[in-house]
Amino acid sequence: MLITRVTLLGNKDHGKSTLIGSMLMLTKSVTKERIAEAERTSKALGRKFEPGFILDSFSEEREGGLTIDTTRVQVKHKGAAFELIDVPGHEELIQNMISGASYAGFAILIISAMENEGITQQTKRHLFLAKMLGVTRVIIAVNKMDAIGYSRKAFDDIKEEMLRFLGRIGFDRDSVSFIPVSAYNYDNILARSKRMPWYTGEPLMQSMLQFSKQREKDGKSLRISVQGSIESGNGTLVTGKVISGKVSKGDTVASFPEGRSFRIESIYVKGRQKPSAGKGDDIAIKPGSGPVSRRGSIICSGRQKPLVSDRLSGTVFFVREPAGKASIRYNGIELAADIIVHKVIDIATGGSLQKNSEIVLNAAKASITSRKKFAFEKFNEYPELGRFTLYSNGTFAGIGIID
Amino acid sequence: MIEQDLKQLQERSIYIMREAKEKFGNVAALWSMGKDSTAMLALARKAFLGKVPFPIIHIDNGIDFPETYKFRQELAKKWKLDLIVAESEIKPELSGYSCCGENKTIALKKLMKERGFDALIVSIRRDEHGIRAKERYMSPRNRDFKWNYKEQPAELWNDYSSKLDDKGHIRVHPLLDWNEIDIWNFTKREKVPINPLYKSKNGYRYRSLGCTHCTSPVKSNAKGIDGIINELRSTKTEERAGRDQDKEKEYVMEKLRALGYM
Ligand SMILES: Nc1nc2c(ncn2[C@@H]2O[C@H](COP(=O)(O)OP(=O)(O)O)[C@@H](O)[C@H]2O)c(=O)[nH]1
Repeated sequence: MLITRVTLLGNKDHGKSTLIGSMLMLTKSVTKERIAEAERTSKALGRKFEPGFILDSFSEEREGGLTIDTTRVQVKHKGAAFELIDVPGHEELIQNMISGASYAGFAILIISAMENEGITQQTKRHLFLAKMLGVTRVIIAVNKMDAIGYSRKAFDDIKEEMLRFLGRIGFDRDSVSFIPVSAYNYDNILARSKRMPWYTGEPLMQSMLQFSKQREKDGKSLRISVQGSIESGNGTLVTGKVISGKVSKGDTVASFPEGRSFRIESIYVKGRQKPSAGKGDDIAIKPGSGPVSRRGSIICSGRQKPLVSDRLSGTVFFVREPAGKASIRYNGIELAADIIVHKVIDIATGGSLQKNSEIVLNAAKASITSRKKFAFEKFNEYPELGRFTLYSNGTFAGIGIID
Repeated sequence: MIEQDLKQLQERSIYIMREAKEKFGNVAALWSMGKDSTAMLALARKAFLGKVPFPIIHIDNGIDFPETYKFRQELAKKWKLDLIVAESEIKPELSGYSCCGENKTIALKKLMKERGFDALIVSIRRDEHGIRAKERYMSPRNRDFKWNYKEQPAELWNDYSSKLDDKGHIRVHPLLDWNEIDIWNFTKREKVPINPLYKSKNGYRYRSLGCTHCTSPVKSNAKGIDGIINELRSTKTEERAGRDQDKEKEYVMEKLRALGYM
């Protein structure tokens, strides 16, 4: 069964853990032991049953009531399987949020409809980052509807404001859906709630089912990201991952930045010889003329070639102040780089901020120059080959996409 | 229990093991002769086309089951494994998990120091325990084997940690995404040899294997792999239910891990 990874985004306390817990309960995806444990904890803290406690396995997370790192659980619904990734929703832990969200097929963004909560800076930042991480489809769950008397107006207001924001950061209207829920009372999670007759759309899990069925099309030309090499009985083989397209035995392909062509003599997928390989396969290939590709190379075929340069422009997002030696990690290699920020973008409005404004936790347009030439692609064309991570003095400092 | 797509799982495991070999000069893997680490060896044979290109470590406290020792000997020979047996002591005064936890950690630390391994492949799965859900594919451990789970490196896309804390090592987890049942589906499909203790004998079988002191069998009539798979499809209990150590304290795993127990 193919499993779709779903990341849950949103401001802390808006109900991510509770929503995941309620999905686990409703789909009976959790063992008795876990439920009993959550019941015990709820009672010990003098509360009514908190579905969110099913998730927390670290004692200090439970006491503090917040998620520190990503948590993953699996649920099954009507023949589809989901891995729900709960990411921490507060600022200092944005690095963990990024790690969790980077594996997602789609996202569920939670916004609490309560008056003092609503759409926050963090809500917007999460969406913006999700977009940078390659998440293109989002379900927006407007939560805690029970606490505001299931008010349609509150839901519509949030929806309207979010639609404006989503358009600005480049989400496709058809790839976003809005659902009013109460994670606490299980409203509109598995089945449509009678308490919100004004909502005529699908319940959350039905919407998830639809999203999971949409598969990305792969109409692109061949791209192999080269991982390295291994020694085998058949000599030195080049290893890599097929990012897009298809490759067959006997094909002539070209490797960049080397700019050299070679014929493929054999292809191994999962340890066995195969006539061809496609998107997602981890392969080992025997090049006809001896290995020319190295870790970090991009192998392609056809006329459209990767870009080869020592300079690129991109959109970057720093999680911490860059200090000292900067580098980027791209396609398996680390390159020392000079990073020049041209302008800082206000995530909430899409406009420019003052030149010297804070770049941490804001997006920025930047140009990046490395000491040597390498092969890369634009994010728009090959998302998996159009992104990089930023490091300063060897510590993770942010992410970027190639414009 | 969700049965995942084996192709997808295998691709990721192969990628991670090749990545470990590319990034770290001196890699080794832990083998307990259990189903998970044996599946890991089968995956390594796929990733590296027929051979396992790194040493395999068994931390042996001398009280594993006889079947386990026999299985170790046979498979090591058949797959030409570069097997290292690191003997660990049993000190009863460290009660509770004296047979595993601390004693095994001491033996492993000693071996790591002698051999200078900078990456260790460990066959844990995220579904084993809530705490394991916090692990990354590549998780650094410091010199004392401590795991600083609150400040883990970012791990995004296919960019896994490569930063070695000074004198520490990286734990590599190629099976992190696998579920218990996936291991059995894979074992069946690829005809991976298994330790006979997993099969039912006199109405009992081992679901999770530790040593003779800390594991007890569960009620089962599953004679072969098909039987095991069918049983798992309907079970409502946790895999490690047969492990005494879990029952001692709810957060025992957290503790063991912070101590460096695999
Ligand atoms: N009234 C109400 N409270 C909720 C709902 N969902 C979550 N909460 C409460 O909001 C608080 C934060 O929820 P939690 O799931 O921990 O938020 P997280 O930080 O996003 O994971 C908890 O006290 C929950 O009990 C809901 O649907 N209705």
